[in-house]
Amino acid sequence: MSDNRDPFRLNRRRFLKGSALATGALALPQFAFADGHTKKPSELIVRAWGGAWGESLQAGVADPFTEATGIPVRLDFTEDNEIKPKIWAAVDQGRVPPIHVNWDTTTNATISALRGVTVDLGDLKGLDGLLSIAKPTGIDGWPLVNTYSYVYVCAYRPEAFPDGPPESWRVMLDPKFKGRVALYDDGIGFNPIAVIAGGGSMSDIPDNMEPGYQFYRDLKENEPLLGEDADFTTWFQNGEIDIACTISVNARAAKQKGINVEWTVPKEGCKVDTDGLWIPKGLPANEEYWSKRFIEFAITREAQEKWCSLLGLPPVYPGLEPPADLAGDPAYPTAPADFEKLVSVPSPVLVENQPIWFSKFSEIMQG
Amino acid sequence: MAETAAGGKPLSWRLIDGVDRLVAAAWPRGLHGMNGYLFLLPAVALVFILVIGLGYMVEFSLHELDLATYRLKEAYSLTNYQTFFERPVYIRVLWRSLLAAAIVTLITLVLAFPYAYLMVRTTSAATRKFLLVALFLPFFIGQVVRAYGWLIILGKEGLLNSIVTGIGLPPLDLIYNYPAVILGLVQYMLPFAVLLLTPAVAAIGEDIELASESLGATWIGTFRHVVIPMAKPGIIGAGIVVFTLTLTDFAMPEILGGGTSDFIANAIYDSYFQISNIGLGSALSIVLTLVGSALVALMLMIAGTGTLGFAERKS
Amino acid sequence: MSGGRSKAVVLWGLTVFSLVLLSFPTLIIIGASFTSGDIIRFPPEGFSLRWYERLWQLDSFKDALLRTVYVSVVCTLVSIPAGTLAALGILRYRIRFRRSLQVYLLLPFTIPLVVSGLGMLIFFGELRILGSLWPVGVALCVINLPFMIWAVSASANALDSELENAAANCGAPPVVVFFTVTLPAVMPGVITGALLMFILAFNEFLVSLFLVDSRIVTLPVQIYNSIRSVITPDLAAVSVVYILIAVLAVWLLDRLVGLEIFLRSK
Repeated sequence: MSDNRDPFRLNRRRFLKGSALATGALALPQFAFADGHTKKPSELIVRAWGGAWGESLQAGVADPFTEATGIPVRLDFTEDNEIKPKIWAAVDQGRVPPIHVNWDTTTNATISALRGVTVDLGDLKGLDGLLSIAKPTGIDGWPLVNTYSYVYVCAYRPEAFPDGPPESWRVMLDPKFKGRVALYDDGIGFNPIAVIAGGGSMSDIPDNMEPGYQFYRDLKENEPLLGEDADFTTWFQNGEIDIACTISVNARAAKQKGINVEWTVPKEGCKVDTDGLWIPKGLPANEEYWSKRFIEFAITREAQEKWCSLLGLPPVYPGLEPPADLAGDPAYPTAPADFEKLVSVPSPVLVENQPIWFSKFSEIMQG
Repeated sequence: MAETAAGGKPLSWRLIDGVDRLVAAAWPRGLHGMNGYLFLLPAVALVFILVIGLGYMVEFSLHELDLATYRLKEAYSLTNYQTFFERPVYIRVLWRSLLAAAIVTLITLVLAFPYAYLMVRTTSAATRKFLLVALFLPFFIGQVVRAYGWLIILGKEGLLNSIVTGIGLPPLDLIYNYPAVILGLVQYMLPFAVLLLTPAVAAIGEDIELASESLGATWIGTFRHVVIPMAKPGIIGAGIVVFTLTLTDFAMPEILGGGTSDFIANAIYDSYFQISNIGLGSALSIVLTLVGSALVALMLMIAGTGTLGFAERKS
Repeated sequence: MSGGRSKAVVLWGLTVFSLVLLSFPTLIIIGASFTSGDIIRFPPEGFSLRWYERLWQLDSFKDALLRTVYVSVVCTLVSIPAGTLAALGILRYRIRFRRSLQVYLLLPFTIPLVVSGLGMLIFFGELRILGSLWPVGVALCVINLPFMIWAVSASANALDSELENAAANCGAPPVVVFFTVTLPAVMPGVITGALLMFILAFNEFLVSLFLVDSRIVTLPVQIYNSIRSVITPDLAAVSVVYILIAVLAVWLLDRLVGLEIFLRSK
């Protein structure tokens, strides 16, 4: 319960002593000055999602990183939306932020970048070799690095679909599934799909969202449940729902826990998106240095292979094989043909329109 | 116990004398008219921490969000308040919260009063202890876990529905709707209300009741004309606490509402965190705090001053 | 005695309903915590203590539990003098703007917790006291203070002011009157209030969430964060640990002062 966590002071004192010397396996020669800037911190705090997400980061990135550098990694499971104001307030007030690395959705990370609280990662080693989606769009430089893509799949209970997987998202409107349909509580992952399922097309986004809103109005009649990652698992395992739009990772984790769940990509497509890593401003120089090394490590072949295969998601490191159970799965896009079935909305469009879509979504759903 | 002191006076007395002299020096008798305010100072100062927070919110609420930088614009404007009044969803959600607060308060009081009454009046010490313990234990289970307990009981394949389907009826929708939120809130508020009512009931002499009944009043008449009026301070106090806590609740609608029975606190949460609009969230907070405080003031006015235990001196 | 019977039926009927309502979810959770499966479910699949074992082995659980105790103690210690004095002040003295003051002192309940939490995040951040645990205790005291004030004033209503006057007339100095007459009279209220403050602080997660970081996380916040991604039976096991603590606290209270103290009236 020590209150003394002013790493600046600690850092300066050690800097003056000149005792710090970076010796980790990851310390690159050009950074290995014999000064406080590379002094190893006592730990790195990485914000993460829990459950299958956190376990994959622990095993795929955090543990090997600790093994290589000797720096323990602590995962902080504060929700992504809830860590945001804490980081913003810290940066605004000139305090040291509560975490070192934020594992975040690309949209939220981009918002934090616009707000000016992110450290530029352009000097990271290994960025050049990654797939182009690693680089954030609509914003200068590298305020974040995307680390994999993921798909908001149509997850369903096979018992409820004896004739095979649902072919269209419109099945959600079937009165048979009244009260047994679930979406994310902010409409995330579904907004562009709603437009297409409501009779619109990609070119309607973002200027004409009305078909999507109409789809939501029709869906509202069917009394959908709105929740977050954990809710979907709970609802599937308690037989509360038959069909949901959720990230494939959750569906796969539920299936691995013995819950009877399958997933598919209906004809309207599924939204594909990315997550990334970023570092908040205001960290002591040595902690920022080692945070960068952490992200650098997360985009190495070794880490990407393990982390992403545990998640069951396509990495940004090129040429890696999918895990056996996902080979050929539409929710694990690799070839250009796979991506054609999926719907991608550029980050700048999302950042600018998400608040508007959210307001409309909640207006319809809270009616 | 402490009678070993040299002067013959017990040690504790001398200690108190010392404290008294210190107090007399620091706080001369001339200031004793201010004693009441001095007593209130720590509590007022603590609550002032919230007022400072509210001050930030007032400032935030007067600036519009700039989506290009996700910061609030420099210029002052009433856009956020305008948004509140223009979007029917906010009025609807506020109305839903107010209605829930009223319903929950009513049901909770109806349930809590007999509980408190029996706990005070029962002649069996064991019964009394049982009722007290049954009241305290659920206190220690947070809202989140209790809500999970409800899911197991009320879910589509839950305990109640397995009975319902067992006798050949179609399963009922018992959870993830407005009534489920009300139920969860009543269960959460019940111990508070009982504890708030108990002292008020305990203060009513049993002889008064007996007198009323011996004069021919039925027990319902005695309750209506004697017991409840005498317990009014406790009832109003419990009512105000349950009402305000329900009005601003976040967790129950979040967990038991299935995402479509949001209260105003959920809308505030969404503005702050989901869409990062601290200006709009602040405006909603200010509106809610004003509405809540105005209703409390109204209730205090209607009920007179003898409420929330803050009774006038009976002299 | 048919009147007496109908009274008993109605009152006991409502009370039994309350008892079921209060204890049903609790009993379900206790039962579910002994499951050997991976899912919180009732009736549990088999019987095992594996989720308790898992908790026990988790160092972070024990640390978080200790921090929670610390925070709750700070909250209770701050609220006892603040709440007691405020209740006596508003009750025993001529105060102007009494009603406005009552509305003011109810602000902790009329401001949503999310807003209080965010406001204190910014204010404590300015003061550079975030990252310590004691401000969390103070914050929890602030948001629950009306309970303490209520508890004391409810019992102070029963306090006979003649007794204080008599003591003063016999020459007792004010401090002596306070400690020998006033305070003992409101003691039941102080104890009720203190227990409430402790319990509430022990469970609070929404405001704490903003004021702790992962180095000083408390148990309710840890639980709240963990259920955002996945819900496992250790959640039920934690609740049972809480209930055990509650049983211990209630038992201790009964041994030390007697539970009757909650029902005492003058």
